[in-house]
Amino acid sequence: MALTGLGLVVYVVFHMLGNLQLFEGPHALNSYAAFLRDMPILLWAARIGLLSMAGLHIGLALQLSIRNYRARPLEYTIHRYRQASIASRTMAISGMALLLFVGFHLLHLTAGVIDPAFADRRDLEGYRDVYGKVVHAFQNPFMVTLYLAGQLGLGLHLSHAIASSVQTMGFEHAALNRLLKSLGPVIGVIVVLGNVAIILAVFLGLVR
Amino acid sequence: MTRLDSKIPSGPLESKWDRHRFSEKLVSPTNKRKLTIIVVGTGLAGASAASTLGQLGYHVECFCFHDSARRAHSIAAQGGINAAKNYQDDGDSVGRLFYDTIKGGDFRSREANVYRLAQVSTQIIDQCVALGIPFAREYGGQLANRSFGGVQVSRTFYCRGQTGQQLLLGAYSALCWQIERGQVTMHPRTELLDLILVDGQARGIVARDLVTGRISAHTAHAVVLATGGYSNVYYLSTNASGCNVTATYRAWKHGAAFANPCFTQIHPTAIPPGGAHQAKLTLMSESLRNDGRLWVPRVPSDQRSPGDIPAADRDYFLERRYPRFGNLAPRDIASRAVKVACDEGHGVGPGGQGVYLDFSDVIEQQGLEVVRERYGNLFDMYHRITGEDAYQVPMRIYPAPHYTMGGLWVDYNLMSTIPGLFVIGEANFADHGANRLGASSLMQGLADGYFILPYTIGHYLATARLLPLLDDHAEAREATRLVATRINRLLAVKGRRTAAMFHRELGALLWNHCGMSRHEGGLTSALRSIPKLREEFWRDVMVPGAGDAFNQELEYAGRVADYLEFAELLCHDALHRQESCGAHFREEYQTEDGEPRRDDAHFAYVAAWEYRDRAEPVLHKEPLAFEFVPPTMRSYQ
Amino acid sequence: MTAHVMKFTLKIWRQSGPNERGRFVTYEAQDVSPGMSFLEMLDGVNQRLLGTGEEPVAFEQDCREGICGSCSLVINGIPHGPDQGITTCQLYMRRFSDGAHITIEPWRAKAFPILKDLVVDRSALDRIMQAGGYVSVNTGGAVDGNVLLIGKDQAETAMDAASCIGCGACVAACKNASAMLFVAAKVSHLSTLPQGRPERARRVTAMLEAMDREGFGSCGNQYECEAVCPKNISTRFIAVLNREYLRAGIVESGRPSEPESPHAESS
Repeated sequence: MALTGLGLVVYVVFHMLGNLQLFEGPHALNSYAAFLRDMPILLWAARIGLLSMAGLHIGLALQLSIRNYRARPLEYTIHRYRQASIASRTMAISGMALLLFVGFHLLHLTAGVIDPAFADRRDLEGYRDVYGKVVHAFQNPFMVTLYLAGQLGLGLHLSHAIASSVQTMGFEHAALNRLLKSLGPVIGVIVVLGNVAIILAVFLGLVR
Repeated sequence: MTRLDSKIPSGPLESKWDRHRFSEKLVSPTNKRKLTIIVVGTGLAGASAASTLGQLGYHVECFCFHDSARRAHSIAAQGGINAAKNYQDDGDSVGRLFYDTIKGGDFRSREANVYRLAQVSTQIIDQCVALGIPFAREYGGQLANRSFGGVQVSRTFYCRGQTGQQLLLGAYSALCWQIERGQVTMHPRTELLDLILVDGQARGIVARDLVTGRISAHTAHAVVLATGGYSNVYYLSTNASGCNVTATYRAWKHGAAFANPCFTQIHPTAIPPGGAHQAKLTLMSESLRNDGRLWVPRVPSDQRSPGDIPAADRDYFLERRYPRFGNLAPRDIASRAVKVACDEGHGVGPGGQGVYLDFSDVIEQQGLEVVRERYGNLFDMYHRITGEDAYQVPMRIYPAPHYTMGGLWVDYNLMSTIPGLFVIGEANFADHGANRLGASSLMQGLADGYFILPYTIGHYLATARLLPLLDDHAEAREATRLVATRINRLLAVKGRRTAAMFHRELGALLWNHCGMSRHEGGLTSALRSIPKLREEFWRDVMVPGAGDAFNQELEYAGRVADYLEFAELLCHDALHRQESCGAHFREEYQTEDGEPRRDDAHFAYVAAWEYRDRAEPVLHKEPLAFEFVPPTMRSYQ
Repeated sequence: MTAHVMKFTLKIWRQSGPNERGRFVTYEAQDVSPGMSFLEMLDGVNQRLLGTGEEPVAFEQDCREGICGSCSLVINGIPHGPDQGITTCQLYMRRFSDGAHITIEPWRAKAFPILKDLVVDRSALDRIMQAGGYVSVNTGGAVDGNVLLIGKDQAETAMDAASCIGCGACVAACKNASAMLFVAAKVSHLSTLPQGRPERARRVTAMLEAMDREGFGSCGNQYECEAVCPKNISTRFIAVLNREYLRAGIVESGRPSEPESPHAESS
């Protein structure tokens, strides 16, 4: 779980960095998208890799959940947490929310099934107009709400996931432990802030 | 008729053990595999013995009443373990540890045994280090030592405040290895209820599975009891609530002599009882007496709070009576002084059972932080239990039964007067004489289990005539039947009083008449009261539930029934020993300033008692000869 | 001290045997003084039950000074009760306000079947230890204790881990009923010291396999175990355990590790 999870974290970080090119204008983003699409083998390899990683991650999560469920057949009547973070207690929920959100996101902005109007539009230079698609999407308050909720789930999931993976992979050091433990929330916040910046920038009309 | 033959090897003290080991017969590896040994108890002595015997190739059946072999009360020992390593180069040696132990025991132990203990002590540390026990270390990586229990050298090895737990976990881990290898079969939650003797030899035990209630016989070629001490006969003690006398008492009834039962150690610094609900007394480290001063109000039943009592109205009784040692006087002496102060009406706190242990002087001189650093955890513990802040008001302490030097009589080979029945650790009468020094109980338990018994039991097995035996042998069946009958009898009483009520009453009786100080009148009155209480128990005890199920109240009632018989033996011994020595203080035998008066001319012997059915126990004497350390009077004034 | 008396309403789990159905039964605890320990309060309840001929509540206890690891109660949803760094037997009634309702449950985990009322079977922990929680050295023949130099820090770290009392509160508190903190403490203790190094790979693998066999859950890194541990054992030892396990997989793979049976060479 930790390995597949960290793989997905790396992807999420690069996804956010790539998307930030929105702020450099339509040319930058659209040519970046085209650059990715120009290497179909690499693109599909990456997509399959990502998909299988996500699949494995979900499969392992299910397997562990079943095992953990079986490890305590009868629940406590009262159960109080002492120090477990909210993020750690909602990993299953935030994970499932993320799964739904990612599915929607793929259908929406990648496959263009949800909003086909922009699916094949080209910009002035002849590139696929990804920029326009994004701007169009985030002018819609409904989409903005949905994407912001998705980011909340992502942030919550990441803030526990990263530190947890570090622990599972056995990184531990008396002096660095604080740093290692704060790694999760910090990366989580950066990714979410980057993504939210895009959404809000469009919605508030800063990027059009 | 019991005959006491201590089998002490002749020759110079230093080489007795070496020569004895050489003269012992050995069991061949092939034969070891055919031999089964039962070990009862998994404290330091039992776990170390079971693991070592398993490693030697015997098949071991190991029993404990806890849910896990790791929980025996050895775990609670805090201070440390002594060894004559002389790592500090401060003049320690095997000879000095031997001398300190003999003198500390007030010349009521065997020289040969104690010398062997001191010799073996160094091996124990090496063995424990090899097992991975995290002893405290110096910065350079060497083992650290501290001085403990008022001796002049630093020979105590320790693991923070948990030495007992770490040593036990080491022995338990060795036991786990042998269980994994199939050499030891572990029976947790199984309690010994009787011994099986065939042709006069100990050949097995009857045990009750505490979960299912099933009673079954287990036979073997020899039986080892490592079942600890009997301080809980006093009801309130520092022992764990499970500690009991049943195993050793059952063995006594089968003919094993019981030695020096009246040597019971009372520890001076426990937290006083808070009321009738009290289930155990919590020990506070003896180290508190390094800085705290003991005092009581000069005027009896002074109701003022301690801060309002001016120095002139305080009696620092230890400093007054023992100016040379002051608050650091040895355990037995300090305990008695506390009792005297309370008996004279100066006691403080609920029921007048307590004296002040005051840190205000050291706080004033050295500062609060110094005291916090040294004793912070103890002050916290005291605060949690009593709700009082010992930085502001003095602590209250009161003595509590802590350890029993008495136990089943054993010879130099640790075998009791029943052939094939070996007794190790606190359960035997052992090496501590009339008083045990700090940090030496762990040493003795491990010495017996790791290094002495595994040799001596081999000699017995190699030389005894042992017929093959099955679990359904007639004697085994009969013993099982008797145990079941006794359990049914307990369940059938269906009276109105709980076992705890009888236990509490017995405890109070013993504490008053056979506790820190004893006298003829009290002891004879106790000897009259105990049988009455016992009769009442069998007439009016209330044990609910069934015998063939998990039944904690039944377990407890069975133990209390044995205490009610054993208490009589304790008082008999205390009555007969007309001298004061070590932990045994007879009021009739004291000097003019209230110091104990030992009587070497008449009592320099081990009192070994033999059981007689429906009659008074019979006394056998094993004379103690002191060839190497001439007895002297202990004086701490 | 004044004779301040308190009263409590207890909701206690009663279950007559491993295969029976359990239920909560409500009892009143009366005449409780603030200086009573939690277990002494329960003693009082049991004495009263005995007076009415009812079977007392079974619960485990022994040393009553926080070191044997016997006591095992979940009090109002928290193993060993509301205070940190102590066992149930070290909890005193002054910690509760008069008239409070207190719910008492046993450790709940598949690996810890209930034997009766509040008593559970924790022998799974023993079996994990038997799988490898030891240093395989024979009695006798050990070298002098000072031959092995062990730095103070290293010894202290080992001691931090070794202070585990095996009570199982970590399992009880874990959402997944995982025994990771227990295994981590044992593995870290021995892998920190040179004596434990020769067997470290086999030990960690065997102990983790045993843990899985016993039906404990997996570690979710929530660190509830650490919060209820009466000896405050740090979850950083879980990272050490994970590292040891990875190391065992990488460094030691391909080496023969099966020990011979004890009688293999006999003739």
